[in-house]
Amino acid sequence: MSTIVDIVMSGLFQGSLYAMIAVGLALVWTTIGVFNFAHGVLMTVGAYIAWQLASSDALGLPIFIALPIALLASAAIGLLMQAAIVRPFIGRPDVVLLAVITTLAAASIFENGTLLIWGPRPMQLPPLAAGTVKIMGIGISAHQLIIILVTPVILAALWFFLTRMRLGLALRAVAQNEDACHLVGLNVAALYGLAFGLAAALAGLAGIFLGGFTFMSPTMGSEPLSKALVVVIFGGLGTIAGPIFAAYIIAFFEAISIYFIGFYWTPALLFAVLILTLMLKPEGLFSRRSRSLA
Amino acid sequence: MSMGVGIGRREITGMVVGAVVLALLPMVVQDSYYRHLLIMVFIYGIVASSWDLSLGYAGIFNFGHMALFGIGLYTYGLATTLLGISPWIALLAGGVLAALAAALISLPILRLKGIYVVLVTFAFGQLVVQLIISQSDYTGGNQGLVRIPSFHIPGHNLMRDHKLGFYYIALILLCCSTVFLRLMVRSRLGLAIRALRDNEEYATSRGISISRQRLITMAGSAVFTGLAGAFYGAYFRNASTDVFGASLTTLLLSMVLLGGISTIYGSLLAALLLTIFSEMIAGLGAWRPIVIGVLIILVMLAYPGGLYGAIAAAARALRRLGRRQASP
Repeated sequence: MSTIVDIVMSGLFQGSLYAMIAVGLALVWTTIGVFNFAHGVLMTVGAYIAWQLASSDALGLPIFIALPIALLASAAIGLLMQAAIVRPFIGRPDVVLLAVITTLAAASIFENGTLLIWGPRPMQLPPLAAGTVKIMGIGISAHQLIIILVTPVILAALWFFLTRMRLGLALRAVAQNEDACHLVGLNVAALYGLAFGLAAALAGLAGIFLGGFTFMSPTMGSEPLSKALVVVIFGGLGTIAGPIFAAYIIAFFEAISIYFIGFYWTPALLFAVLILTLMLKPEGLFSRRSRSLA
Repeated sequence: MSMGVGIGRREITGMVVGAVVLALLPMVVQDSYYRHLLIMVFIYGIVASSWDLSLGYAGIFNFGHMALFGIGLYTYGLATTLLGISPWIALLAGGVLAALAAALISLPILRLKGIYVVLVTFAFGQLVVQLIISQSDYTGGNQGLVRIPSFHIPGHNLMRDHKLGFYYIALILLCCSTVFLRLMVRSRLGLAIRALRDNEEYATSRGISISRQRLITMAGSAVFTGLAGAFYGAYFRNASTDVFGASLTTLLLSMVLLGGISTIYGSLLAALLLTIFSEMIAGLGAWRPIVIGVLIILVMLAYPGGLYGAIAAAARALRRLGRRQASP
């Protein structure tokens, strides 16, 4: 019994993190049509900004004040990044390849910038809440429990924004037909910025969640990014819902595999499953071949 | 399969002259630091020009290329330290294993397009790193492999010849790699992969097999990349997962793109320039990848076609200027 609770809790926790990261990647891909390899370092930067604000070694603000400031800062960085290294290539036939290179370069810049500013020493963020909670005989930290509960709320809010609010509908419209959006007078450039900023804020939040759970380092974003890659390949990039489902499926798969097969061989097994999926259904499990949103 | 267009006489002459000049260079360049720089140029030149085969000529968005280099490196390291295999055989094993790994990645990407190819190849690289880190009992994990045995030449000490031996081994690898790549792109296969890149529907309707060509291309781009990785292990006598990192990937990728894709020689020239530049600013520490990253972004913003495109644009402008002066 406790094994099952253990696996379920681990699957829900990791799934929440993966979903939060993968949704940002899908949001940028569907609206702008580029893949952001700097998404992982946006996580790192968000976490370090939060540390600067909240840690008792730095400013020492309460985490609930530090969090929104760090998210706004992440969004601003995402917005600037979009304007500097993605926007200039929009409309070129090789935009996908060029954006891969510039975002990889940006990832390298931010990773080493973090190293220069905060140093290589592992650091830890204060958790969102202290203490542990017992669920069916299994102790789980309050921090993890908050993440498990809050993530679906955030994802639902994102879904509501994209399907029920004018601004979100405008984002989906840009994803579907950019020319028509120009015709009806939407500010396409601003919407691109919004998509990137929103994705960066989501990445920053994922970074803060992670930073309160494990140690932070300048390379902390690279492993979650590679998992998010698997998630978006598995779920398809064309929708927002696909990666969310895929995130939880993969997290549960991992939790079960780690328990029964062991920590070391789980990445290989995951990759084997991924290759098999791609050979059978190349566009991802939940994706129709399109770039539409939600 | 017939020869395709083959390599022209002028190109062969150019190759021979280039090889002879490089072979005589150590007589002038006595300092072992400068020889080390040239060895690094050769290694990176092999890797970048091989990457140009898959990324440039075939248009396969392969972002797992550095993983093939890493596979060559770790094959060499593990074969020599754990299995006690002779370094020369381990060097060849590095090339063979990298080619096999490339064939393995081509299976899932045969039916994929665009960004999904990028994602799968990138994820493959991440998987290799995770496997290496998790099997730390054998691979040394994050600490890496140290004290890897190096090559042994009877009657010669490679450690005390001011890097002369390593220089020539790297040069031989570079020459073989360049001839191999040029033969490949000038063969019928090379024409076929370019046809597939430029117009996939038309090429396949003319009977070109996309899966077979992609498989051969990927394996072909991996052979010398793996050999270069194995050589890297023998040269530095250690192996770490740094070779998979974003910094080296970005550096090598920028060699391919700054050199201009689909040129092979462009990548070699870019390898020369970027390796020397990168070594010149080695004292900057963590600032170095930042400077290189900013530089790449600036070049991409100014000349999305790469340095090759910039040179071509300059040549066109000069010609226009010349014509204007010729006609009063």
